[in-house]
Amino acid sequence: MSLYLMAAIGLKGGVEVNSAGFTPDLIVAALAGLALSCLIPIGAFFALRSFGRLDAVNASAVAAHYGSVSVVTFVTGAEFLTTNGMGAAGYMVAVLALMETPAIIVGLFLASRYGDKSKGSAHQTRGELLHETLLNGSVVLLTGSFLIGLIAGKDGFAPIAPVFETGFRGILCLFLLDMGLVAARRLREAKSLTLRLTVLAIIFPVVNGMIGASLGALVGLDAGSTAALAILAASASYIAVPAAMRLALPQADSGLYLTMSLAVTFPFNIIFGIPFYTYLATTFAQG
Amino acid sequence: MAKTVIRKKIEVLVDMPLLSRIEKLAEQAAIKFFMVLPTRGGGTEQGRWYDDRVTGGAGTKVLFSAITTEENASNFINALEPLLDSYGIIVTRSDVEVIRSAKF
Repeated sequence: MSLYLMAAIGLKGGVEVNSAGFTPDLIVAALAGLALSCLIPIGAFFALRSFGRLDAVNASAVAAHYGSVSVVTFVTGAEFLTTNGMGAAGYMVAVLALMETPAIIVGLFLASRYGDKSKGSAHQTRGELLHETLLNGSVVLLTGSFLIGLIAGKDGFAPIAPVFETGFRGILCLFLLDMGLVAARRLREAKSLTLRLTVLAIIFPVVNGMIGASLGALVGLDAGSTAALAILAASASYIAVPAAMRLALPQADSGLYLTMSLAVTFPFNIIFGIPFYTYLATTFAQG
Repeated sequence: MAKTVIRKKIEVLVDMPLLSRIEKLAEQAAIKFFMVLPTRGGGTEQGRWYDDRVTGGAGTKVLFSAITTEENASNFINALEPLLDSYGIIVTRSDVEVIRSAKF
């Protein structure tokens, strides 16, 4: 189901950019997204070290998750925005793909700068890590389907539109239901999740969403795209980053970073976050 | 009755993202026969794991199972050794009887 959702959102974004053409806003949004993805992990890292009382390696791994993005949170947010008559620009899908990987690189840098070098070693080959970081499944699928949509345009998309449009919301509902079950199970099994880390897993999306909404409004994006940027900034990865961290920082606790991003931040964003970031974006874009 | 020969069976329980590395090491150890089996879930001293199919394989483990000669098995295990602690890999080795031993 996640493959379907990623392909659908990529195709639709590409088709929209094909219709609207390339605008300077695309470059501005891409730069804003890249900046967020590089800077968010740094703030998160120091908060996790001080308030969260995590060691440097675990703090780096968790911080990378919060700098990267969640595709399903974005897809749900995009549907919410469309339903409320403020759909985000199609190019935000490209911004989503761009924001997947820089946080991984920043997280690894933080781990090598502040981590205890005597504690375990990753033994990973650089090529393997680069492959996992830059060519992981979600990045390839999103970018690939975006490019296909961009080349195909509205006419080329029409024959396959019933598959990717008609069933989209139903599939999204089923996927969210499945995600809810996975999140609940992870929460039940969470051993290393402390109250302080739970608080951070809620504070991070709120603060990052506010930064994203402010930045989007500051660089002049429309309200829908500003909200989408805020949603991206607020979301935390649970697909691309965990796999890369498992390879590069095996000594980090995967139960911890997956539980924080998937079992706390993800449901928080779906239930409370998306309407809040949309409200912020609307307010900031008008102001 | 078909003639059987003793070979070594090595099973490696490994995190999904690391599988390609294990396959490469097996190839370098001249292992010809192997298979990769999915796991639904399980438990270790660190806690339980599940194949939740949404986390990019980070929380998922697979079982790499190979049958080979004693020499190849030793080379493979030696190559795995540096990874065992850092990645929490579980390795078992046992004797199995095989028919058509040239295939292993």
